[in-house]
Amino acid sequence: MRQRVSPGLLAMLPVMALILVGFALPILLVLLYSLMPPRTFSLAGEPTLANYWAAVTEGYLLPLGWSLLLAGLTTLLCLVLAWPTAKALVRFAGRFATLATILIALPIFISESVRLFGTALFMMPGGGIFAGSLNALFGLKIGSILYTRTATLLGMVYIHFPFMLFPMVLGLSLVPQDQIEAACDLGARPFQVFREIELPLALPGITVGTLLTFVLSLGANAEAAILGGQAVIVITKAIEQRFGYAQDWPSGAALTVLVILVTAAVIFPVLRRLDLDRLIRR
Amino acid sequence: MSSTRNRLVTALLALWTVLVLMLLYVPILSVVLASLANTRYMRFPHKVWTLDAYRDALGQYTTAELHLTSLKIAVLVALIAVLLGVFGALAFARFEWRGRSLYQRLLLLPIFFPQAVLGLALLLAMTAAGIAPSWRTAVFAHLVWVVPIVTLVISIRLYGFDVAQEEAAFDLGASRLQVFREVTLPALAPGIVSGGLFAFLLSWSNLPLSIYTTGSDTTLPLWLFSRTATNYSPLVPALAVIATGASVLVVVAAALALAGWRRLVARRSA
Repeated sequence: MRQRVSPGLLAMLPVMALILVGFALPILLVLLYSLMPPRTFSLAGEPTLANYWAAVTEGYLLPLGWSLLLAGLTTLLCLVLAWPTAKALVRFAGRFATLATILIALPIFISESVRLFGTALFMMPGGGIFAGSLNALFGLKIGSILYTRTATLLGMVYIHFPFMLFPMVLGLSLVPQDQIEAACDLGARPFQVFREIELPLALPGITVGTLLTFVLSLGANAEAAILGGQAVIVITKAIEQRFGYAQDWPSGAALTVLVILVTAAVIFPVLRRLDLDRLIRR
Repeated sequence: MSSTRNRLVTALLALWTVLVLMLLYVPILSVVLASLANTRYMRFPHKVWTLDAYRDALGQYTTAELHLTSLKIAVLVALIAVLLGVFGALAFARFEWRGRSLYQRLLLLPIFFPQAVLGLALLLAMTAAGIAPSWRTAVFAHLVWVVPIVTLVISIRLYGFDVAQEEAAFDLGASRLQVFREVTLPALAPGIVSGGLFAFLLSWSNLPLSIYTTGSDTTLPLWLFSRTATNYSPLVPALAVIATGASVLVVVAAALALAGWRRLVARRSA
């Protein structure tokens, strides 16, 4: 009898083909374009690092810096805000938690543009929902943070919060309750329980949430466009300008490669160690 | 003492969760409130509360066109993603094979990747290959991101699947196709339905991939995105509410259809 190809190998073929053509190939093309002479449109040119040099000298590291800073702050704020929420969802396991989980998850499926638009309407000065209500109710006139970097950051936290929360809940639910109780009975203080039991056991979930939040917010551009006005140019916007308005593909490609490098640097070390079977299997 | 403290912590956590929930819905409520005006400039609270904007939106050709574009993209994405996702999930969670661990990690890469950057990379690749971006290329772009997610959703279901059922069917003389159709597929059905819904909704609401990959075709999120900056009128929030309502309708319809189908199956097997 002839050796049968393993069914797993066959089953993964369509998905892998999609990832190869739709993910690996575009990234490879971007990488190749980033090595072409500036303002050329073919891949036949002499390879050069000029675009990377230009990225450094012509100020394109600034948008990248802003994106990194905003993504870092978003991740940090999401961590702090999601932790008590995750604890609550795990502790109140039951009807309340299920309802709360559904209510938190639902907005993910409402378009970013709708939710950010709503945030802008809420923050708008003068006749905005918040300022207008305050004025009508208490005669209070207030300024607005709309079209600032702060507004951009708040929008990013708002959009990415669920991506931090749900993996964290998954991780926290892996912590056995009796272990926490045992520690408490033995006289552990709440902070000790947090540091010695909850944190290490929930770490896989927290790591996934942190990575997801950081990476997704690194490429975020709608927040800056809708809530930031002209206050900040994020890296995605800078790349878009190089590709479109400036008609300089190699320069845009070099910036894209820089973002991909940052992403890879945070993703690969963690992904290698992650035990997916354990995290997903219930 | 410890129990009073415990109760306090519990109360604070509950309060916090309610606060978070309220904050999450403030922007959505704001859109609804803004849609009930008839002035071109936002002056909240409105002097006149009216549904005029909805009447205008429903009467416009653009509304139908935008919904149609978003719908055909989302439906195609959902169908193809489920088809690929079932096989992807079998490889992810059902079969033991060499290279599975590597495959599991590769599959995650598009999820752990900035979507807008993926959109830009795809735009460059398509332009270089001479493919004009349109709603069709948007389907492909959505798939690159949605298929891994759907695969994960179905995989979660597969982990709970008892392989012995398949073996029993084989022992009773069923063919490979029969086993797949009559044992594996029904067991996966809930995962397939939720995977399909995920795919539909994620595609329907997607902005960062669509921005760069739809060319001159416009989806609902794209139109809203462009209109938030310029040319504001209550029509914009009204259309946002209608678009969101439409996706809720699809989910409810799917849930009802699934419930009806389950009842049918239960009756047939009883």
